[in-house]
Amino acid sequence: MIDGVSAIEKGGRSSPPPLLDVQGLCKRFGAINALDDVSLAVQAGEVHGLVGANGAGKSTLVKILAGSVSPDAGDIRIRGIPTRIRNPEDAGRHGLAFIHQELNLVPHFSVLQNMALGMPNRRGLAFVDWPSIRARAQSVARTLDMRFSLDLPIEDLSVAERWLVSIGKSLMFDASTIVMDEPTASLSAEESDRLFGIIGELASTGVAIIYVSHRLTEVARLCDRVSVLKDGRCVADIGRSELSRDTLVRAIVGTAIETVSPPSEHVTRRETALAVADIYRSPRVRGVSFDVRSGEVVGLAGLVGSGRTELLRVLFGADTPDAGSMLLHGRHYAPRNTHEAVHDGVGLVPEERRSEGLILRESIRFNVNLASWERTVRSRWLHLIDQTVASEKASQAIEQLGIVCQSMSDSVGRLSGGNQQKVVMAKWLALRPRVLLLDEPTRGVDVGARSEIYRIIRQLADGGVAVLIVSSEFAELVACDRVLVMREGRIVSHLDSGHISESTILRACYGSLGPGED
Amino acid sequence: MASVGTDKTERASSRLPVHNAARAWRFVGRYGTLVVLGIMAVGFSLASPNAFPTMSNFTNVVSQMSLTAIVAGGLTMPLVAGEFDLSIGYMASLSGVLVVGLIDHHVPVAVAFAIVLALGLFVGFINGMIVTKLGVNALIATLGTGTILVGCNYWYAGGIPIALSQSMQGFTELSLGRAILGVPNPIVIMAAVLIALWVLLNQTPLGQHIQAVGANPEAAMLAGVRVDATKTAAFMISGVCAALAGALLASRIGSGQITAGDGYMLDAFAAVFLGSAALRDGVFHIVGTFIGVLTVGLGFNGLAILGVPSAVQFFFRGGLLVVAVALSSAARKFVHR
Repeated sequence: MIDGVSAIEKGGRSSPPPLLDVQGLCKRFGAINALDDVSLAVQAGEVHGLVGANGAGKSTLVKILAGSVSPDAGDIRIRGIPTRIRNPEDAGRHGLAFIHQELNLVPHFSVLQNMALGMPNRRGLAFVDWPSIRARAQSVARTLDMRFSLDLPIEDLSVAERWLVSIGKSLMFDASTIVMDEPTASLSAEESDRLFGIIGELASTGVAIIYVSHRLTEVARLCDRVSVLKDGRCVADIGRSELSRDTLVRAIVGTAIETVSPPSEHVTRRETALAVADIYRSPRVRGVSFDVRSGEVVGLAGLVGSGRTELLRVLFGADTPDAGSMLLHGRHYAPRNTHEAVHDGVGLVPEERRSEGLILRESIRFNVNLASWERTVRSRWLHLIDQTVASEKASQAIEQLGIVCQSMSDSVGRLSGGNQQKVVMAKWLALRPRVLLLDEPTRGVDVGARSEIYRIIRQLADGGVAVLIVSSEFAELVACDRVLVMREGRIVSHLDSGHISESTILRACYGSLGPGED
Repeated sequence: MASVGTDKTERASSRLPVHNAARAWRFVGRYGTLVVLGIMAVGFSLASPNAFPTMSNFTNVVSQMSLTAIVAGGLTMPLVAGEFDLSIGYMASLSGVLVVGLIDHHVPVAVAFAIVLALGLFVGFINGMIVTKLGVNALIATLGTGTILVGCNYWYAGGIPIALSQSMQGFTELSLGRAILGVPNPIVIMAAVLIALWVLLNQTPLGQHIQAVGANPEAAMLAGVRVDATKTAAFMISGVCAALAGALLASRIGSGQITAGDGYMLDAFAAVFLGSAALRDGVFHIVGTFIGVLTVGLGFNGLAILGVPSAVQFFFRGGLLVVAVALSSAARKFVHR
């Protein structure tokens, strides 16, 4: 506690050394360089932006600062002192506080109780000193201009008020650096403005803010300095004077691969398979319309949080839309659950392969047949599984998709990521879907298997399936016939073949092609 | 930072013993119950060489436990689907009282059975609805419905056992007779029920869905499986099996006793959990359940032959339940490593 106060005083008198100084941070996950020699310095009282596309390394950096991931190499200095952050408690002790998008508050607890959770742990059975905690909380509440009772339960507060409580919680132990992840994602414009005011005030008291966001207009307006990450490297460090939305977009897109997809050979335009009109699903999907034709592969790009996964869940009947309508091959399509969607010929390859796509302890054979047991019965009257057919489907899938395994009775938990993904896809092949939705199909899959997965997708499309792929690997979407770009719950851009490249997609994601600003 | 290298070496050096432990646990998971069964069989045979290891005693054991096996077979379904059913014992008691009451009012035996089986399905359906639609934890939900069944039982019978006013040969014959090849009827019925349940669990889409839902409800849902309907079906199967066992029990004792079936619950749970630690790494399955029932049945039979006091029988019952669940979770612990 005392440390924090003295730091603020020091920060007021002279600037060096930086409050937080990160040098040469590296982190690899398997074959992927999540962070490669990243350095940044944050001064006391500075609002420091951290931007970059999906997978640029922002969250890895934040996790290292929070002590939940340990770096492979590099130094962290706090006020010039080399520091190791081994775990989240360490991070707190060194004055680092983190406010994640899904605020870590206990809904049933009062504001005061939640703020008390920010206090350092006491040992043993010591009584909680509520009067002094309340006094402390009241002074924090005054600083933040919190205009609500400390005794209200969190669940009665608006999202903006919860943000205030989260900030207050970190001030309870005199955090000197507060890391905020997408703070305005669920705030209205007015609420955002208020938050910016508070951030400004906090900074003037000497607290450093690390502001992680995709909303470049806000970042350009609010931050004193911005570090731009791209593919795990810090590609730009932009000071106040040069800071603008355009410089940021340019830095993020950088020398993105300019390979533009060749004009699609799949000009044989067939009938519309899925037509979506004005779908809303609070809070992430805010009016989406598009259509996909049979035999077409459409990419759905967007930054994390843009509403893509939520949209797919609606299309697949896992969630019901608040408004909007859908047509499947010209007929009204409004699945109330996934069973109806599957029955109508729609399949989903979900984002989280291991937890959502597979039953790990079961065999390849079981998983391949998972969605189609009801169609593998001997007859309508004798509802017994035809085991020969089930086995044929499994062996066909193994052969067609090139699943590497010893036999179809291998449990899928032991397969490699790429082979697991092929099993998930095989599940739908066995059903011959009319529309296949894929959410991040190549995540955690090695390069060889990636191209194979795209080969399979194209093969499916050639067989007449309408395919919609959500991917954060924009370079891969070049393989699509068309790419739709989502931002903040809406489709903001359509890219036709011949115009699809990593850089055009990135620009569209940040809205520098579209007319509107965020 | 520099520490990462040392972390890796630490992990590498500790890998070997972990691997051995995993293998030991895996053995426990696959064969633990069989080992328990073997030890008990050998132990009781040595302690009571004249009474225990005889064919007639074995037939007696299987006949005695056949009703437990029916209840446990049914209970296997909700457990495979990842839920619990604590209402089965009370369901069996109510079914026994009701079937005797109906027959005493000159309802034909077949119709009386059909009525109590329908009741079992209905109670299972209600259990399923409460768990899936109202989102009540299955332990609490079925404890609640079970207690309501006790209430129904008292309401119907007024708290006193119902006896048959005239001798009903056809009814008592169901459990006392030997219609096929001289094998006691309860054993035949048990075999039929267990085979039917095995087919249902392993050879039908519903059975595959029950397994999928129990292993990963999210993945099952995203594969188009109707998770709620599947769970409800599992509860209905367990309800109808409990009702059948209760009615057969009434036929065996020739009257409707208010609490006759209550004891099935603990024994069935012990059996199913023991069964999950037999052959399949902590997965509930019908063959395992049968092995579990055999273990429980032999245990009680041996203790009865040795003439141990009631206190010890309760120690055994409670201890076995704990051991069963411990074996089962031990079996699951190392499966994916």
